[in-house]
Amino acid sequence: MSGYVLRRVGQSLLALLGVSIVVFALMHLVPGDPIRTALGTRFDQDVYEVLLARSGLDQPIPIQYVDWLTSALVGDLGVSFRTGQPVSDALMQRLPATALLAVAALLVGIVIALPAGIVSAVRQGKPVDYAANGFAQVGVSVPDFWYGILLILVFAQILGWLPPSGYTSPLDDPVDALRRLILPAVTAGVVTGAILTRFVRSSVLEAMSADHVRLARAKGMPSGYVLRHHVLRNAWIPIITVSGLQLGTLLGGIVVVEVVFAWNGLGRLALDAVVRRDYPVLQGAVLLIAGVFLLINLLVDLVYAKLDPRIAAS
Amino acid sequence: MRRRSLVPIVVVALGLAACNGGEEVDLGDAADDEALDDVEDAPDDDPEDDPDADPDEAAEGGTLRAAIGGDPDQLNPHTTTSSFAFTVLENVYDTLVEPGDDLTMEPALAESWEVSDDLLTWTFELRDGVSFHDGSELTADDVVASYEFIAAEGDNAFRLDPVESFEAVDDATVEISLERPAPNLLEQLGAFKGMAIAPAEAIDAGTLDDEPVGTGPFSFVSFTPGDSVEIERYDDYWGGTAAIDGVHFQVIPDPGVKLTNLETGEVDWIDSVPPEQVETLQDLDDVEVGQVAGNDYHYLALNHEVEPFDQVEVRQAIAYALDIATITEAAQFEAATPNETAIPETSFWYFDHERFGTDPDQAQQLLDEAGVEEGEITIDLMVTNEFPETVTAAEVISSQLGEVGIGVDIRTEDFSTWLADQGDGDFDGFVLSWIGNIDPDDFYYAQHHSEGINNFQGFADDEVDQLLDDAREETDEDTRKDLYDQAAERIVDQASYIYFYNSDIIEAWAPNVSGYETRPDQATRFRGVSLED
Repeated sequence: MSGYVLRRVGQSLLALLGVSIVVFALMHLVPGDPIRTALGTRFDQDVYEVLLARSGLDQPIPIQYVDWLTSALVGDLGVSFRTGQPVSDALMQRLPATALLAVAALLVGIVIALPAGIVSAVRQGKPVDYAANGFAQVGVSVPDFWYGILLILVFAQILGWLPPSGYTSPLDDPVDALRRLILPAVTAGVVTGAILTRFVRSSVLEAMSADHVRLARAKGMPSGYVLRHHVLRNAWIPIITVSGLQLGTLLGGIVVVEVVFAWNGLGRLALDAVVRRDYPVLQGAVLLIAGVFLLINLLVDLVYAKLDPRIAAS
Repeated sequence: MRRRSLVPIVVVALGLAACNGGEEVDLGDAADDEALDDVEDAPDDDPEDDPDADPDEAAEGGTLRAAIGGDPDQLNPHTTTSSFAFTVLENVYDTLVEPGDDLTMEPALAESWEVSDDLLTWTFELRDGVSFHDGSELTADDVVASYEFIAAEGDNAFRLDPVESFEAVDDATVEISLERPAPNLLEQLGAFKGMAIAPAEAIDAGTLDDEPVGTGPFSFVSFTPGDSVEIERYDDYWGGTAAIDGVHFQVIPDPGVKLTNLETGEVDWIDSVPPEQVETLQDLDDVEVGQVAGNDYHYLALNHEVEPFDQVEVRQAIAYALDIATITEAAQFEAATPNETAIPETSFWYFDHERFGTDPDQAQQLLDEAGVEEGEITIDLMVTNEFPETVTAAEVISSQLGEVGIGVDIRTEDFSTWLADQGDGDFDGFVLSWIGNIDPDDFYYAQHHSEGINNFQGFADDEVDQLLDDAREETDEDTRKDLYDQAAERIVDQASYIYFYNSDIIEAWAPNVSGYETRPDQATRFRGVSLED
């Protein structure tokens, strides 16, 4: 088991290094740079060159990367070109908001997906199955900003039950934080729920067709008992895996929801960094998102190995 | 069950996000968003610290909840390039002089000024009893330190270009010596908050990025990047204490959501309204719309260094073929005024001139004269989704030019890429706007003088160069106006730019906000605002 863990940690670190190289290269290959962008339309070549030299962006890209990596290894991610704020401060300021939203969205997704997926598998081919499939299809096809705007329209504008946007820290005001969390969490959660519903359904179906389940049925065991003890126990593993992946995706990928709901999270930070060519912030944000993603992946694998010892052995 | 492999997707998604715009720099259209605010409707008191608010008479008080469409990069007026920063800083800092309601310069920190006969020495008398938010008195040294910093650092130095030296004659007197006459010196010092006066000590210590210290009606409290800025009333403000306790600026990037926040009473004021929403809003009882003709202009520039746009006939043909009224309507709905010249009728510098109108036959004839065959020209037209109206305008341009056999390839880019391509001259044409136009030296010289730093279209015309050089130093206002009129006529005639329209400034607020006025220079002044219950 420990060899397995070490191997997986090693792979994760390697992946992280790869990610940092790819992002660094991509960012610098895209036209534009933070100095040019900050100067905007009132551009002056002389001012530009002075600022460029001062920023170190006139150095060859490999040298810039090595400089960045050397600092990053000792925990210094640099400072934002745009704001002058240390990148690690910016990340830590945004991480809680994104983590809260991601976890809440995953919960919403699971609350939707577990019953919907299980019922639709058990009642395969029945109306409830079609309904669940229909939901899953619509859920993954319709873009999340559309749900977001729809929810704002209904619950904020028409009914006036919830505030339309914004983030409040639960530490400052738990009630307001919850009120502001609901709409974005449901928006992101519907999509997650739609994706998970399909996985839950197919996992349960797969488990239901296993020999031991058919045997249990043939023995005349009550179907609820078979479902709980034979089917779900086996179906859990892929469900946990996919839920973990979804959490990782939510942590990095709810940019649109964060923009619509003015949610001050990592996704918006990264988006702004892309738009402004704020290299250090983007590099830091991607690294953090990728790191968290890999960490969740790793944890999922470890849980997986725990649930099914054959995996670690192989 | 694949389990790895999503990381590259995250990366690619972020990479792709590069094709999307945001707020930004010093362009025209800050156009969006609102804010929400967690302050509820509490009649006064900031949620957090509010040491010296609401002591005295402040019958009304209350915190104004203002929504802005993007977050300031930082809050140092001398170095920020974000229009959102200036929405805040307008209320925290002062300049020596400032634009009045008709945009002429009026006393602010300087109570009076004198100009020497040779027009090379300006002497400013500072207002008595002005204090910074840290309690220190404003002195001439602070003015000198501010200007010296600006002249030495960054992108506002051009405003002080004619200046030879700054001198603190005594505590209350500043003398500015010029190398050449600068009839627009007051505009350069006062029309833009980037020329703000800050304490010499804080400038030397380099602390202004984190701790703004001004002389304005509100003092800085806190800044949460990406989220909000908090300012509170400064009780010793020289211009009379503000009625409200403070302003909470909330960042709301999506324009529609910003509007919803205003309609639902989450915020009291929003920084801009998309033009297509204006009509709907005007029908609502619980929203006040402030709309004034702005000085911003929107235009098409062709690359004079690329054939056949180097031929004036071809540029003029394009001007004849376009119907700017339709372009205006499509891009801005009712919220703009078509104009073949740069500056609107409301400005002293307006030049009444209709050179082209819409005349496809004339366009065709000019193209024939220039020896251009039908279908021979395809314009590589660069626009940016940072400013969606440029994309809309490009679509109309494409269809109108199609009628005279000119093709248009619309290239929509994110703004950083756009700026890089503009700098490299990698375009046949682009559509953009220019904002904050008060003095013509500012908006003609840089863009149409052959030496101008923003002359990306590569316009070079001796006559225009001469007129702009002369006007730059001409101190008689009427003569100067006449020179700029001649320059404007020539710039339009030679189609250095093809001007489209002047867009309105549109803001909106709740009916309980009184004393606020939308200004043509987009200055967001909350010092006169009060909140009713």
